[in-house]
Amino acid sequence: MNPRTRHSLELVLDNLVWFMLVFVLAVFSMFIPNFFQLGIFANIVEASSVLGVMSIGLALVIIAGHMDLSVESVAALSAMAVGIMFCSSGIGLGVQLHPDWLMVPVSLAIALAVGAIIGVINGLLIVRLKMSAFIITLASYIWVRGLVLVISGGRSAQDLAPAIRWFGIQRLAGLPLTAWIAVACFVIFSLILAKTPFGRHLVMIGGNETATFRAGIRVNRNLIVAFVLAGAIAGLAGWLLAIRTSGATANLGVGLLFNAFAAVVIGGVSLKGGVGTLPGVYAGVLLLSAINTAINLMGLPANFTQVIHGLLVLAAVLLDAFKQTIRQKLA
Amino acid sequence: MSEPLLVLDNVAKNYGAIQALRGISFSIGRGEVVALLGDNGAGKSTLVKIIAGGLEPTSGRMLFEGKEFLARSPAEAKAAGIETVYQDLSLCTNVDVVANFFMGREITRKVLGVPVLDERAMEAVVGKALANAGTRIPSLRTKVEHLSGGQRQAIELNRFVHWGGKLVLLDEPFAALGVEQTRRGLDMIRQVARQGIGVVIITHIMQQAFQVADRIVVIRQGVVAGDVARNKTSPDAVINMITGETLAGAGPAG
Repeated sequence: MNPRTRHSLELVLDNLVWFMLVFVLAVFSMFIPNFFQLGIFANIVEASSVLGVMSIGLALVIIAGHMDLSVESVAALSAMAVGIMFCSSGIGLGVQLHPDWLMVPVSLAIALAVGAIIGVINGLLIVRLKMSAFIITLASYIWVRGLVLVISGGRSAQDLAPAIRWFGIQRLAGLPLTAWIAVACFVIFSLILAKTPFGRHLVMIGGNETATFRAGIRVNRNLIVAFVLAGAIAGLAGWLLAIRTSGATANLGVGLLFNAFAAVVIGGVSLKGGVGTLPGVYAGVLLLSAINTAINLMGLPANFTQVIHGLLVLAAVLLDAFKQTIRQKLA
Repeated sequence: MSEPLLVLDNVAKNYGAIQALRGISFSIGRGEVVALLGDNGAGKSTLVKIIAGGLEPTSGRMLFEGKEFLARSPAEAKAAGIETVYQDLSLCTNVDVVANFFMGREITRKVLGVPVLDERAMEAVVGKALANAGTRIPSLRTKVEHLSGGQRQAIELNRFVHWGGKLVLLDEPFAALGVEQTRRGLDMIRQVARQGIGVVIITHIMQQAFQVADRIVVIRQGVVAGDVARNKTSPDAVINMITGETLAGAGPAG
């Protein structure tokens, strides 16, 4: 095999999920009436913003060789905190700040802080007690959701302050600002993961934690930072969720965790750690969103979505194994 | 020789009631190669980990360059100038050769105040280092998982030669190497020592110890059972020290 074919083959393998996305979009455009229009594509991007943001944090800790099951509950808690503060009906306290725009940075800071605090708790427990991230964050997944129920009393907050809602309404180039926030997050964190020493260290920790420790990398500190980031990013996802639903309910975001896992796996991140890129994860998120949109357009019952998502995750895992065999032949 | 590079003074390590090291004392000079020998479980690897910052001793003290020294983490040992090559390879197979070479010491440049990896500069350094050592690896951008065992070990050996520091600890570095590569590895050790770097090498192979070391230190049951210059001893005498049939420095029984 000459170097050029080998190079292009590797390019295809590295970006397989993007090719899948283009392929799926092309097929849908050909066979589903009314699919091929800008509004639909914008809708795919828009509908994926909350899931996309949440997947970034999850992907970071999985690439570092760990796991964070708590992101969904953390997002719900952040959304509920913002909802209680800045909603005017239901259990909302209707806090008013002057000038109005001040509510945006304050609500965002609250959402991020709530997420970061849970992230610190997760990270410290996992690193200091050397306990499995799976168990610690499973516990967080449960108790944080419990906290949402406790502080809301099972009721909901509605009518989020218009100054905050503005982000979900105002459009730029056909997309609401919330979608742009998700896109910006992907760009920023992709750069951090691929181009900075911190990102490089996370990938290497996921590959061989002992080796990185021996090489003098401060593994524990890096891992705690990764969990704090995952928590804060989940907090941001919660903020976007509150804007999208103009409030918060006690069961907000239930099921998002599994979609996030699906997106991460479809995006080419290995659950063993050390493998995967954030652009791939974004393609995974868009792929799931495209399929949801297609199901809606075809008028299929929404119950099909879950079946298809499950099959897609299976396909992704099989594809990953297939990619490994091809790579071994290339090497 | 002037003051020694590293002095171990009665270093002991307990795991609960088990005494892994019962009080080790010896010293290493600049530019000196010390072979550390001993049976399985004698405490060699424990000792290396204590010097390299992976373990803390229960008691005793160390002097590095004449100053009290205790590394609480590998990062601290590295900062002091101590490099370690472990018997199980310390490479991240999921990243490429360049990333492994620079693990934890990446070259960066600032973009808008943020440190960004300078891949081109790092690749140039690695290319030069490997070429100098005569190691051939098809592409420095290949992930290490696609390389052979010998190539992997070559990367690790070149890494310590390149970073050098003041003291190098090698824990059975040639376990995965063929005859020719081992010979080259032993050459590398002599070359490193000539630069004035102290070297401690753990090995099971008597022949290697006699090929490369200036001094041979034998550890048995957590204490130093022998500390002799290579040219004043013989493989048979060393084996006796390892198995405990004679006392250190004692002549033939009689």
